[in-house]
Amino acid sequence: MRQVEEKPSPACTSAKSLSNYLWSDHPDENKWADCTHCGMCLESCPTYEQTGQEQHSPRGRVHLIKSVAEGKLEVNTQFMDPVYACLDCRACTTACPANVDVGGLIEEARGQIRQAMPLTGWKGSVSKLFLKGLFPHPNRLNSLGNVLKFYQKSGMQKVVRKSKLINIMPDHLVEMESIMPKVDTSVRKKYKNENVIKSTQPTKNEVALLTGCVMDVMFSDINESTINVLTRNGSDVSIPKNQTCCGALHVHAGDRDTGRKLAKQNIEAFESSEKVIVNAAGCGCMLQEYGELFREVEPEWHDRAVAFSKKVEDVSKYLHDTGYKKPKAALNKRITYHDACHLAHGQGVRREPRNILLDIPGVDMVHMPNADRCCGSAGIYNITNPEMAGDVLESKMKNVPDDVDMISMGNPGCMLQMAIGVQKYGRNQKIVHTVQLLDWAYQKEDGEVADNGI
Amino acid sequence: MAFKGIKTKDRHIQNLAGIVDGSRSILYHKEDLIAYDCDGFTIHKHLPKAVVFPKNTEEVAEIVKYCAKHHLPFLARGAGTGLSGGAVPLNSEVVISLVRMKNLISIDLENRRAVVEPGFVNLKLTNSISDKGYYYAPDPSSQYCCTIGGNVAENAGGAHCLKYGVTTNHILGLEVVLPDGEVIELGHNGIPDAPGYDLLGLLTGSEGTLGIVTKITVRILKNPEAKKTVLAYFDRVADGSQAVSDIISAGIVPAALEMMDKTAIEGVEAAAFPVGHPKDIAAVLLIEVDGIAAGIDEQIAQILEVCKNRHVREVREAANEEERARWWANRKTGFGAMGAISPDYLVQDGVIPRSRLPEVLDRIEEISAESGLRIANIFHAGDGNLHPLVLFDARIPGQTEKAIDAGSACLQACADAGGTITGEHGVGIEKREEMRFVFKEEEITAQTNIRQVFNPDNLLNAGKLFPTPGRCGEVKKEMKEALLTQ
Ligand SMILES: Cc1cc2nc3c(=O)[nH]c(=O)nc-3n(C[C@H](O)[C@H](O)[C@H](O)COP(=O)(O)OP(=O)(O)OC[C@H]3O[C@@H](n4cnc5c(N)ncnc54)[C@H](O)[C@@H]3O)c2cc1C
Ligand code: SF4
Ligand code: SF4
Repeated sequence: MRQVEEKPSPACTSAKSLSNYLWSDHPDENKWADCTHCGMCLESCPTYEQTGQEQHSPRGRVHLIKSVAEGKLEVNTQFMDPVYACLDCRACTTACPANVDVGGLIEEARGQIRQAMPLTGWKGSVSKLFLKGLFPHPNRLNSLGNVLKFYQKSGMQKVVRKSKLINIMPDHLVEMESIMPKVDTSVRKKYKNENVIKSTQPTKNEVALLTGCVMDVMFSDINESTINVLTRNGSDVSIPKNQTCCGALHVHAGDRDTGRKLAKQNIEAFESSEKVIVNAAGCGCMLQEYGELFREVEPEWHDRAVAFSKKVEDVSKYLHDTGYKKPKAALNKRITYHDACHLAHGQGVRREPRNILLDIPGVDMVHMPNADRCCGSAGIYNITNPEMAGDVLESKMKNVPDDVDMISMGNPGCMLQMAIGVQKYGRNQKIVHTVQLLDWAYQKEDGEVADNGI
Repeated sequence: MAFKGIKTKDRHIQNLAGIVDGSRSILYHKEDLIAYDCDGFTIHKHLPKAVVFPKNTEEVAEIVKYCAKHHLPFLARGAGTGLSGGAVPLNSEVVISLVRMKNLISIDLENRRAVVEPGFVNLKLTNSISDKGYYYAPDPSSQYCCTIGGNVAENAGGAHCLKYGVTTNHILGLEVVLPDGEVIELGHNGIPDAPGYDLLGLLTGSEGTLGIVTKITVRILKNPEAKKTVLAYFDRVADGSQAVSDIISAGIVPAALEMMDKTAIEGVEAAAFPVGHPKDIAAVLLIEVDGIAAGIDEQIAQILEVCKNRHVREVREAANEEERARWWANRKTGFGAMGAISPDYLVQDGVIPRSRLPEVLDRIEEISAESGLRIANIFHAGDGNLHPLVLFDARIPGQTEKAIDAGSACLQACADAGGTITGEHGVGIEKREEMRFVFKEEEITAQTNIRQVFNPDNLLNAGKLFPTPGRCGEVKKEMKEALLTQ
């Protein structure tokens, strides 16, 4: 089945086109100018590890993207494959001695591809449903959440699972279904009448929380935990009403226009906040890169976007930098930590979450080799490229130590993917977010939970 | 027979796909091939006919036999980090990529050797045995990614080769597919010094022109008992180089003795692993000593003494393993780091007698001034292996040619000082012509005669390593013309 059709070039080629990139907002020459073709990024790249093929390596991708600009290649299906097979994991950015922004180039190239070859077929429909129909609309997502909740609570899930209806779903969707988290009430709904959730301690700081679209529906307990740990450590938390999806999934998919629309809405929604706290690494990374979206298009937003990005911080880094109380109760668990790509490679946050875990009494930290290797989740990559995602996950799971109770991390996408991994490979680790562990330790200290089942 | 998933009528592609078992193991679309049009040496680019990914020796032999039979040029490729263009398919070769042959076949700690497939990445060997107290000594700065097969072909060296020797000193046996497809074993059971000609030595460093290496037995070493690392900053390059000579004359053989000049420091500090070198410093030395714990402190004391006598501004000892690792990351990513201060660079690789270091560096400074291009110097100072990095911007017309000329002039300076034109990066395409700086025509012919024995039809990696006889100067001209038409 053909999923793309080649669309005729724009009638009048825009002044801002570059050789075979026909639209503005094309890949940025200055980004590839830094690449010396040294190859030091090869081994960092999960798709190169899987295929051994250089068009699926960071160096190869940069070279291809540059070749289109030089007129040697055209934007076509064959060019699209390697560009879309990139996990956007940013491991290459860490590995590259010249700091080449490979991820940025890939996203810009995807923007061009999507304009040249709009998606059709089922991929088109799925992408439209998720990216345009759902993520930008928290309310609709909420109702989707309600459907999921109904699906789980009504026992329908059981019926579906028992009746083998599952057997007719594609494998990777079955895997997703079986690890779907329990859906609770979203914090945006829960706190909709409160302007500020006051700190339980004397106020030190005021912060705003990005609740995230998927996060708040599928993982509302993590948002709840985030609010708990922040308010317990002297931060007043507000949840700005007009905030929306961060746009990462859209930008990764090449839909930069929607990305910009969402970015503008968030920039405005958080205009009066001093600090924006994020607990989903993928979202945090996106928010910190809004400036890139306005490099060429709507440049009047550029400076505002950059100023906004400076306010954004991951919750673990924020807690680490502003100080938090060490919990007194012990969680006697053996825990290993997985570096979410967009935390470690995207934001350089590696030490902070580990230190938080080490500060919880009773926690026995077990080293995970290659902890900062991508798990294959990468936004909706596990839906669009299930095969590569599965291979990457398999390598990841081989590195998860056998004898641990939990795998902690800072990104919901990774949590879903790792949960699939645990199930698929017959492991029995619980998947947790770092702030959840801290929150549970506090709760235990307060005697609120006996052992919270953990 | 049309092979499933292969969308071309080219029968060679169809047949090669049959050998490597399908569409996932062959590339032939222009969009994919372009990723293979050069290696770490980017001045010369050419598209291959196809890239094939064999998974074992038999497949390599079959591919080679097929190419030989149908007179298709072919060459081997590892990670493509080579810096002299050895893996560039000048003649539209079928590129045989060995990266999927990446198994560690066996480790024999008792006899201190390991057997690897050619696509096994250098650093992974040390990583696989370090917990048992062993390591693989040759450590090219590209060791995070380059393959041991590529190391054998280029006889790669590294920072620690001053004390421990280059790749050839660590190769105990090879399995090689000859250009007619025959598979041979060299080095019996990994026992060194077999009687007869040293074919292992001949193959190692032959830059992929005599055969394709498919299995390698290497020597592994026990970790040194102790290790200490020192940084020394000098206000004058001459003092730094003099200190290098003094250290060696004092009878100390450091495990590594590396130097960077001011421009190089600017690059590494602007890039991914800065360590906070002072900006106004003329040269930094990175010195590492290792061995039995008892002797180390004494050696360090001696080194500090030497540095003081040479007016060192500051010396620092690495406080812990983390700091030491950071210093090395800073040094080992030095070439790539140039990307942070210049759009393009050309790395040269000359060797000179240590004692001539100061004067050669002066000459390089002159070359820089004459060409108007900045030249950074990173080098394995201990063994006099200079890496002048000519910084340029290929987008500015004329700069690439200037860079090539400046690079060549640096090599001439090395040759004039009684040295040679490559220490570890190989000749490849890049330094074919400069071979004449160090060899007479008859000496070159003697060597091409050897190639003739192994590679009579010259189908394997043709056009590399040696200048074409009697065409002095023309090749350089061709290279420039190729550039202009790119
Ligand atoms: C940043 C950087 C730093 C570097 N630092 C060093 C250094 O410190 N020391 C050093 O010595 N080099 C260094 N190099 C050069 C390069 O990494 C080495 O030459 C390395 O050995 C090449 O290995 P590769 O796997 O990338 O081989 P490739 O580049 O793929 O191939 C190199 C040559 O070997 C041949 N070849 C590859 N595999 C085989 C095989 N299995 N059988 C036969 N022929 C084969 C190819 O045909 C080609 O001619 C550096 C390169 C870079 C980019
Ligand atoms: S972002 Fe990840 S998958 Fe993409 S090129 Fe870089 S390392 Fe490879
Ligand atoms: S992206 Fe960076 S590491 Fe990769 S080839 Fe380019 S400069 Fe080297």
